[in-house]
Amino acid sequence: MIDFELNETQKQIRSFVHMFAKDVVRPMSLQCDREHRVPDEFLLKLVAMGNAFRMGAIPKDYGGEDDGAGEIRDQGPGGKKGSKQANRVAVIGAEEMCWGDAAVVMNLPGPGLGGPPVRSMGTRDQQQRFFGMLTAAGLHYGAYGLTEPAAGSDVAGIRTACVKNGKGWILNGTKCFITNGAKADWVVIFATVDSTLGRAGQRAFVVEKGTPGFRVGKIEDKMGLRASETVELILEDCHVPEENLLGGEDHYRTKEGFLGAMKTFDSSRPMVGAMALGIGRAAYEYARDFVRDNYVLTRPIPRYRVLTDRLARVARRLDAARMLIWSASWMADEGIPNAKEASMSKAAAGQAAIGACIEAIQICGAHGTLQEDHALLEKWFRDIKVFDIFEGTGQIQRIVISKRILSGLKAF
Amino acid sequence: MISFSPSEDQKLIQDTVRDLAAAQLRPRIREAEAAGKLPDDVARSIHEMGLTTLSLPESCGGQGLALVTAVIAEEELAWGDAAAALAAPGPGAAAYALLEVGDDAQQRKWLLPFSGADGWKRRGALAWSEAGVFADGAMKTTARKDGTDWVLDGKKTFVVNGGIADVTVVVAQIDPAAGWRGLGAFVVAADNPGLRAGNRQRTLGLDAVHFGEVVLESCRVPAAARLGDGDLTDRLGRVFARMALAGAARAVGLSRAAWEVTREYCETRQAFGKPIGHFQAVAFTLADRLMDVDSARWLVWKAASRWDGGTDARRDVAMAGAHAHEAAMRCADDSVQLHGGMGFMRDVPVEKMMRDAKTLALVGPTVEMLDQLAAAVDLGAPLGPDLLLPTPDVQAVFT
Repeated sequence: MIDFELNETQKQIRSFVHMFAKDVVRPMSLQCDREHRVPDEFLLKLVAMGNAFRMGAIPKDYGGEDDGAGEIRDQGPGGKKGSKQANRVAVIGAEEMCWGDAAVVMNLPGPGLGGPPVRSMGTRDQQQRFFGMLTAAGLHYGAYGLTEPAAGSDVAGIRTACVKNGKGWILNGTKCFITNGAKADWVVIFATVDSTLGRAGQRAFVVEKGTPGFRVGKIEDKMGLRASETVELILEDCHVPEENLLGGEDHYRTKEGFLGAMKTFDSSRPMVGAMALGIGRAAYEYARDFVRDNYVLTRPIPRYRVLTDRLARVARRLDAARMLIWSASWMADEGIPNAKEASMSKAAAGQAAIGACIEAIQICGAHGTLQEDHALLEKWFRDIKVFDIFEGTGQIQRIVISKRILSGLKAF
Repeated sequence: MISFSPSEDQKLIQDTVRDLAAAQLRPRIREAEAAGKLPDDVARSIHEMGLTTLSLPESCGGQGLALVTAVIAEEELAWGDAAAALAAPGPGAAAYALLEVGDDAQQRKWLLPFSGADGWKRRGALAWSEAGVFADGAMKTTARKDGTDWVLDGKKTFVVNGGIADVTVVVAQIDPAAGWRGLGAFVVAADNPGLRAGNRQRTLGLDAVHFGEVVLESCRVPAAARLGDGDLTDRLGRVFARMALAGAARAVGLSRAAWEVTREYCETRQAFGKPIGHFQAVAFTLADRLMDVDSARWLVWKAASRWDGGTDARRDVAMAGAHAHEAAMRCADDSVQLHGGMGFMRDVPVEKMMRDAKTLALVGPTVEMLDQLAAAVDLGAPLGPDLLLPTPDVQAVFT
């Protein structure tokens, strides 16, 4: 049945996360941004509150609380199991959390983007080991190392080399822009046996912190999301044991090895879209409240109508993007392939939210740029831009969409 | 529970209307355009399928279906031909006025005939807009009490089915001092000697729709013809919200049609040795417009479903209407653009779709009005006639 109201579970989660974002996360926002970190004590408190405050799910079989693949179910009539709703719940939660602060959210411990490749390619034993590490006491992270200085969107062009050496592998290369890369217990590193083979030559390794030859390079200083750690990772004759090759060697005899890695994005893109939406909505609400509280809208000043018009346009672009996010995550819950819709949702949400943050400052006037009085607006403007860049730029999303709407289109 | 899944019944209606649209509307868009009306056999088909009375209550001869079902059907009709969706027989906007302002007896009296066997010939109209300069913030068409009767005088314009409708709801000024809050609504039958058709208005697009003037000269109606009383602002606001929702659904249908036709063209048209769709500038445009089409549809569904649920859906309707019309204009414009010079030729449907999209955006509340309404809801401003009604003193609309 067509329905756009949240059910009880979804409502409860939304209001709980919203309260948390408002009372706990938002008050930390500016401090974290200034200090370029989120205090450990704060994060430890969150971990104690349970799995809801994890970045990426840990499967139940490996010490997690749910399997993250959709096991949150709606209670159907008569206590029967209803439909899966994990993806819908996840995007609703992500929007609310990031309404509080996106950089803080990215500091939540958990496997992060490293989770999906371990889950989809890893053997039972590997999942046991790597997810197991993250369930130990304290703050534990996984990370995802694909991007290189010379290979961003063109992921087939990575240069990090892996060479078989006895019972293990020797890795050489540099990864960059890796979220939580310095604090991570392990990073999924993509490398190639022969860069001329493109994707077919690629292998995914789980490289553990402290492995000789594996070190953190530059810690980036960024426009926004400053409280989120973004680093360069350097591999110099780094010896990785064969049991850390995700899926084992047989896995790479078929093309699926790499495709498995890309599947990460089908479920994460609506999430990233929802995160962007949270920031955009925060900025919109801020501007809306500023207008209501500071401008005497009944005075016949022509600019007032222009400002209210802009507010409405911002709001409806956000609403439209939310529909695409909900629809993509509903499809995921229903098991309907959604690569196209996932990309559409992320592309639309990123742009709508950037628009919202830009307009919010414009609507508030010079006040909006001030780091003291309206520091949040100024911060959101800096935070939001990267949402149209990471996990596939807006242009890459359009390539994904294009390939699915035009027959016979393999590449441009 | 958030769900984008139509029920079995809704799917059935969707498929049936799509089949009708594909078989009878799309192939004959130029025929309807040239004739300035829907072919009779098509009007019959639409009526016989029950599409003209889909969401009327069963007591009025309708099927009592939810608005969310009605917008699904409306999208499919407009996918076939946006003009046909509006030119189709049925009570149209008059039904909105009767349902929102009229009482049970009035609804039954005026709406029941539309479900009869000759319903395919019947049409309703809502006479709202007027031309000229408005200094007083009030309609120039007046309603004057004479004994128990009312006498209407004035000239209405931009009326869908204006002058040819079986049932015309006329909005006129009862109390000039009360401005837009002093309006009254009256039902006038086609055979009333005080009502006559003015000029038919030829428009940029939607050529198959009869837009026309309605002239009222000492048009006398009984007391029972008056719909509601007192300040009609909120009730008329709901009339225009329904109109906005139907218009938004049509805009989605038009967007999807333009997008599909264009996608196909981009796969077949070759340039520089490959289909033009295989160039990024073209493919990315299609990707952007698909985001428009889908997001507009979901906003329309959301607004309709919230309306059905009895929540105050004014903000949702405003968002859906504004987004859908802008999306439709972008889709139609880019469709012509991607067809290149061919798009400018009347041999291709996108030529018509672009003209239709602009015209459609001026039937019912405009994007500008809807945006102001949504902003006012968000800002907690009082919602008066200036926000709820497309008053004809500025940016007049077709109704």
